[in-house]
Amino acid sequence: MNLKRMGKRGFVFQLSGREKRILFETFKLYPLVPATHHRLSKAAGDQSEENQRLLEESLTEQRTANRQQLEALLNDPGRFKKSGSNYRLPLKASELEWLLQVFNDVRVGSWLALGEPDEDKPPAITPENFRYLVAMEVCGAFQSVILAVLGAPESAEGLE
Amino acid sequence: MAETEVLPDIEHVEKTDSQSDLAPAWLVICWNDPINLMTYVSHVFQAVFGWNRQKAEFHMLQVHRQGKSVLVRTTMEKAEHFVHELQKYTLHATMEREP
Repeated sequence: MNLKRMGKRGFVFQLSGREKRILFETFKLYPLVPATHHRLSKAAGDQSEENQRLLEESLTEQRTANRQQLEALLNDPGRFKKSGSNYRLPLKASELEWLLQVFNDVRVGSWLALGEPDEDKPPAITPENFRYLVAMEVCGAFQSVILAVLGAPESAEGLE
Repeated sequence: MAETEVLPDIEHVEKTDSQSDLAPAWLVICWNDPINLMTYVSHVFQAVFGWNRQKAEFHMLQVHRQGKSVLVRTTMEKAEHFVHELQKYTLHATMEREP
């Protein structure tokens, strides 16, 4: 995936057919991190069960909303338009922001599913965990593209 | 005796700080997770706190090198808000009462 152009209306990314398929497969995993993974505080005394429950509810609601937004994006006929052998994906800046959240949820969730491996100790690949290993790397790659676009808008202006 | 000079904007900020000093202080802490991209963490700090890139990168590197970084000291309500915002981005963040 790379940035094709950007302007006042947002950004247009270009994906190959293979990248599009991988993207759709990756999105199927969302949401992956369990809401119970997050703790409000590390100190037991600082945290009431009620506050923790509210946090988990709020995160669950937010992920449900993200999932619905994701479904709408994947089924929007204005997205993923064929252009030669590639696909064009128009996105607004606000959509990039929640897509970053979606990608990181799948990336962290995959890492958790793999047993939280260290960078220098990759997990043993099995048929069961292979998709998590792929998803973790794919999400990181898509995140890097989005972060480069958001972090360096000046350098991309000439693309339009 | 010199007359008291009134500076409304500055005074308002100072009063706010003074009041928050009296309230129980909470620290919003971000902990290191080896899975998060450094550029991503820096971006999230900018998005959540409105920091410039230099400040965001300072705290991101502190998380990376020291295992954690105290991001802000604030009231309980605001700390809850910030922790929730950081966790929306799947960062490992908690709020701890100031020792």
